[in-house]
Amino acid sequence: MTALSLWAAAAGTPPPGVKVTPDVVRMGAFYGGATVRVEGARDADATIIVAVRGPTVTEVFNHDGRAGFLWVNTAKVTISEVPSLWLVFSSERVGACLPRAVIDQYGLDQAALKKQMRIQCQACDQGQIAEEYLNYKAMQGSYRRASGDFRKVAASAAGVSDPSFRFEFEFPRCATPGEYQVRVLECRGGEVSASLEVPLRVVEVGFPSFISGMASRHASFYGMLSVLVALLAGLGIDFLAAQLFKRREAANLKSR
Amino acid sequence: MFGVSGGFLLTPILMMIGIPPTLAAASDSCQVVAGSASGTAAHLRLGNVDVKLGTVLLLGGLSGGWIGVHLIKSLRALGVADLTITVTYVVMLGMVGAFMFIESLGSLRRGAVGPKPQPSPSGHGFLSRLPFQTDFPRSQVRHSVLLPFFLAGLVGILAAVMGVGGGFIMVPMMIYLLGMPMHVAVGTDLFQILFTCAGVTYMQATTNHTVDLVLALLLGAGSTIGAQAGARAGRRLHSNQIKILLASVMLVVMVKMAGGLLLRPAIHLTPVQGH
Repeated sequence: MTALSLWAAAAGTPPPGVKVTPDVVRMGAFYGGATVRVEGARDADATIIVAVRGPTVTEVFNHDGRAGFLWVNTAKVTISEVPSLWLVFSSERVGACLPRAVIDQYGLDQAALKKQMRIQCQACDQGQIAEEYLNYKAMQGSYRRASGDFRKVAASAAGVSDPSFRFEFEFPRCATPGEYQVRVLECRGGEVSASLEVPLRVVEVGFPSFISGMASRHASFYGMLSVLVALLAGLGIDFLAAQLFKRREAANLKSR
Repeated sequence: MFGVSGGFLLTPILMMIGIPPTLAAASDSCQVVAGSASGTAAHLRLGNVDVKLGTVLLLGGLSGGWIGVHLIKSLRALGVADLTITVTYVVMLGMVGAFMFIESLGSLRRGAVGPKPQPSPSGHGFLSRLPFQTDFPRSQVRHSVLLPFFLAGLVGILAAVMGVGGGFIMVPMMIYLLGMPMHVAVGTDLFQILFTCAGVTYMQATTNHTVDLVLALLLGAGSTIGAQAGARAGRRLHSNQIKILLASVMLVVMVKMAGGLLLRPAIHLTPVQGH
């Protein structure tokens, strides 16, 4: 039995051998991304893959095409069955340790994502749209894939049997609040020998949480408050500037 | 300084740094409330706001905006909305920017001194025979109320079609068609932008829930300080110099937009606003 299968046995609770820190990402007023650490045990000859997936979403886009010599929006495209966030990290190249069918099953590369996504549009090249979507998400920082950087650590540090791994990744600032899944796969001999999922919650806290709660529950009040606050801020700064300039002008007159 | 809210510049910049388009547009209109409130107050003290004419312009702009919203709905149904918006942008920015730039540069070269009001176009002919002729002493012009109302209505239609506040069309229109002095046109435009954007912010907050007050306040802090400095810097500049600066900004944005129409985009997908 592998180390990961032992963790998988404890379904529903955080597996004893794997730790995701923090288990809740808190987005405060100055949130600019977070470092998430995944650590645990692996067999010496196993490859570890960490896949982070956001909630499944549907997104609508305008697609640019050529009309004469101009680039304009030519079609509306709806893309569904895609994760809002998709990050895959592995200690070796995914394609080198798993066959295509398994990669597709777990959605571990862009080709697998393309197979999962549903594209609705009139008279468009679906393959090209899928490619464009993946590029768009990569540019946004929501989709990322990387190999390596899984550091071996001392057993005592990870609290599990040797050899252990520790991996840190940057949870992007463009992520939205929701329930995310961190899936850890242990691969050996061209198959997944163990797999388990650890939930990762992303929540808004503090002032942003208060504001977004009010914006959705008391929209009319929030609208009036936004206008009032902006108005007061503008007039407040005008008042301060007027005082400042008045003092300067007075000082200039005195010096003359 | 220019009497424009800057929405036509700030929203694309926010989108470039990763703020979703819907959030960028709505939060931008909220911060414009702060900036234009600050600018209006500063211009009021300097005697640059024609409240009477500004109110007529505001009513005309709101009516035109209402028509524009329905027009854009029809264009969307026909599938030509985005092309219409972009081409309108390029044409309007190009025409108004180029005209203003050339005219102001010519005036500067001829050695015009001090802000000089344009001759009132309703002094004779058809326009002087229109009903409801009214004096607007602050702007030093006499017009039928229908003229600014109608012109602001046209700007409102364009602003709604283009999805911007319309200041960059309104200010040249006030100067060249209504004959208002540059400084009064700037102050009066900020006055009417304040009310337009307050309305838009409220509607965005209640309909789309896309106003990010924290982001808007951060942006507003910058824009209000900028508006204060701009109002004072504007007093030190010749009106033709202000016009050349505004025209230059418009032409730069026009070139960027024309590039977007002519050059192959890096990514062919654009998120749909309001989704």
